[in-house]
Amino acid sequence: MSEPAQPEAHHHPSPRQYVQIALLLAVLTGIEVGLYYTEPTFGRLVTPALLILAAIKFGLVVGYYMHLKYEKRFLTGFFGAGFILAGLVYAVVLVSVLILPRFG
Amino acid sequence: MADLAHDLGHHDEHESLGVDNRKLAMWVFLASEFMFFGALISTYLLFKGKEGMAGPLPRELYDIPFTSVSSFVLLMSSLTMVLAHNALTRKDQPATRSWLLATALLGMVFIAGQFFEFATFIEEGMTMRTNAAASGFYLLTGFHGTHVLIGIIMLLSLFGISRRQGSLSGGQGLNLELVGLYWHFVDIIWIVIFTVVYLIP
Repeated sequence: MSEPAQPEAHHHPSPRQYVQIALLLAVLTGIEVGLYYTEPTFGRLVTPALLILAAIKFGLVVGYYMHLKYEKRFLTGFFGAGFILAGLVYAVVLVSVLILPRFG
Repeated sequence: MADLAHDLGHHDEHESLGVDNRKLAMWVFLASEFMFFGALISTYLLFKGKEGMAGPLPRELYDIPFTSVSSFVLLMSSLTMVLAHNALTRKDQPATRSWLLATALLGMVFIAGQFFEFATFIEEGMTMRTNAAASGFYLLTGFHGTHVLIGIIMLLSLFGISRRQGSLSGGQGLNLELVGLYWHFVDIIWIVIFTVVYLIP
């Protein structure tokens, strides 16, 4: 017989904390847009900076809004596996379309 | 979104790993959706910088301030969604309904923005057939918009059920949790699209 899941909702952030996270997300989005306009000045540094900011936003939503931080660990495994596989899809397509044709 | 159905007094035996099987199925579904959007994003990225394509490229037409506002709207819809979940945890049914409706309305604003963007691009001469980058762009953002639309329908359905029954309890509580997971997923996909497709040079 399976063990029933325990109520965990009381461990979740409070509404006030949710709003604080939303404000942080809004600020990060503002910084992203600002970085976009600084591309002529900072050049190649902009891309990694944008990716880092997107990763932070992604983590905040998944961890706190989707509550993955408070869920059972294997769910993170499932979700992470999907994300990694999506990255592999891109890598395979990149290699097949852009790199392999160069070798005939 | 942990175990809202339990909090609302709905205990069932649809569990094998300590998590309700329907919730597990939703997480697995969302993981598979990464693959779906991964393929679409990959396709777009392969063509976006290709030289010698006819017609305007998506990059030449982007209106970053406008899309930034759309992104902000979708991010805030994630806040209203999680507040709906929180309100249901506190068994505050009127607040749950209000936040659900607010989330659906913000989703509609986002969709309206996407329609406006598409209409503007078509007016500027970029259709699905203009070039491969345009096709990739419309496919990716169009499928994302379709996901938002499906989310809105689910949110409005929950709102309707709550109004008709007077409350969301038991299984409906779990449904709200699942719709919430779906909605936040749509949001994180947009976080990726906004950065990778719109902002990265």
